[in-house]
Amino acid sequence: MIMELNWGLPVIAYLFLAGVGAGALTVSASILLRGGGGNFGGSHFDMARYGALIAPLPVMLGSGLLILELGSFHAGHWFRFLNLYTVINLSPMSVGTWLLSAFIGLSLVYAYTFMVPDVAPGDRWDVLRRACAWVGVPMGISVAMYTGVLLGAMPSRPFWNSPVLAMIFLFSALSTGVAAIMLARTLFRKFQIRKLEATAASGSSRRTSDLDVEGQYHQSGYILAASDTLLIGLELTAIFLFLIFAYLTVGDVRYAVSVILFGGSLAGAFWFWVIFLGLMLPALIELYYVVQRLLLHQNFSVPLGVEFAVPVIVLIGGFMLRYVVVVAGQITGPVGI
Amino acid sequence: MDEEGLMDKSKAPSQNSRRAFLKGLGASATLAAAAAVRPASAATRPVQYGMLIDTRRCIGCHACSVACKAEFDVPLGNTRSWVEYVEKGEYPNVSRNFLPRLCNHCRHPNCVDVCPTGATYKREEDGIVVVDPDRCIGCKYCVQACPYDARFINPVTGAADKCDFCLHRVSRGIAPACVETCIGRARIFGDLNDPNSEISKKIATNPVSVLRPGMGTEPNVYYIAADHSDEHERRRGSYVRVTTHRKEKERR
Ligand code: SF4
Ligand code: SF4
Repeated sequence: MIMELNWGLPVIAYLFLAGVGAGALTVSASILLRGGGGNFGGSHFDMARYGALIAPLPVMLGSGLLILELGSFHAGHWFRFLNLYTVINLSPMSVGTWLLSAFIGLSLVYAYTFMVPDVAPGDRWDVLRRACAWVGVPMGISVAMYTGVLLGAMPSRPFWNSPVLAMIFLFSALSTGVAAIMLARTLFRKFQIRKLEATAASGSSRRTSDLDVEGQYHQSGYILAASDTLLIGLELTAIFLFLIFAYLTVGDVRYAVSVILFGGSLAGAFWFWVIFLGLMLPALIELYYVVQRLLLHQNFSVPLGVEFAVPVIVLIGGFMLRYVVVVAGQITGPVGI
Repeated sequence: MDEEGLMDKSKAPSQNSRRAFLKGLGASATLAAAAAVRPASAATRPVQYGMLIDTRRCIGCHACSVACKAEFDVPLGNTRSWVEYVEKGEYPNVSRNFLPRLCNHCRHPNCVDVCPTGATYKREEDGIVVVDPDRCIGCKYCVQACPYDARFINPVTGAADKCDFCLHRVSRGIAPACVETCIGRARIFGDLNDPNSEISKKIATNPVSVLRPGMGTEPNVYYIAADHSDEHERRRGSYVRVTTHRKEKERR
């Protein structure tokens, strides 16, 4: 099929990066708020910190990429995109522009409250940090979701024109956000353990004193793995609903969805990279370790290799999901004239 | 009425004041156009320009496409107006039909709904859907949203571009370039809201159709004897070949 892709790699990358950033902030803020801003249940505060420090970067990078895709930018009108800020209307892209700008501002302030020297739960930035977290949860969810609404707003694009798409994007954003935090935590594993040791030595650790340092480290890993499994489960459910409703209908939507069903030109990318590698495999691996603790009450402990590989494939899967959706939407359309 | 002033939107600072500005200028421009296109007594009714294309009269000569190219200096590789060839059947039961295409200036234009900058809008005074190239950022959202693939990004301006019913001619009471040049007189242009216009009478007295009515955009370009089943015929296994004569070789 010879079809022009009006939205190419920059848009695909943006959808993925904005999802990771929005997910990371939402998860970070949720962890912080659940812990009451403190260190409840292991190294929560540090995970909230990783999420907070990650969040603004992918969103800013992705938004920058979007500008590269603009026709005005290609024609040499480099700052024409600022016209976006002269209008507020109900176009999902206009709503998204304002939302995204507010999100970037908020996530920078939130990240800053974690960058101050001697950052600790309950320090003098605590109030601001928690205020950001309260606003951050709904805002992160909105940023994660509006991209699905943006694609879904067009009857001319039957593949995208589904209310379930925004839910898929939301769950994918949250699970890739968790994955980003997991990855950061794994990369800084040594640092993390050293810090826990220092805390244990000073005797200030509450509630978790019955666990040794390794145990405390894995305790936070357990929370992440368990929530990621749940999120992937929800994402698979949403994808199932998307597929089954498209499959059971007749007409444009049925024709459009056939590009990712068996025999379709994107079937391989969808079923291998998105469903198997990006969702099923990490979910099964995480489940294997989570169940041991959940049902058999064994200590949660994951080898370093697995701890690294799982978030990486979740992130690859998240990218491939955006790729498949963005391309599939553009190579299909209304049938007949 | 100075049409150049009307087209120069960079003078107006914000969208709202620009609209008001356009409305002021446009209303009087429309009156002048309306006087030429229909009786002055109906001038208080809002105008909705539309087109009726009788495909039986089209010989597929591309004169309309060429006139449009010349009128707007449309960059190479892009088309505001084009003619599709539809070939179908097995010998001896074969046919070749022509389907002239352009923006439908829809009553519910999805392109307008999605535009984040207000660059694309439907003119209240005559129902023409236009793009302000100085506001447009070239985000291509409207290109995705148009169910008729009527839009493209103009590589010179970097803005979305498409048929504007020859606004600069119509506002002076002159027919669009494609209509004027059509040797088969396949195209009729006029005010759909005026029951006494030639186009309204022809639509009332002929079986007509619009393209992809299921999209809900309610097009204002009507066709007589357009073939809507070619894609379905193809899926059924019949020989059908659609030649778009555009950069996008396949219909979207
Ligand atoms: S045909 Fe397409 S570009 Fe023209 S008004 Fe309708 S939706 Fe907009
Ligand atoms: S390309 Fe221009 S006219 Fe089209 S939606 Fe974007 S800003 Fe509006």
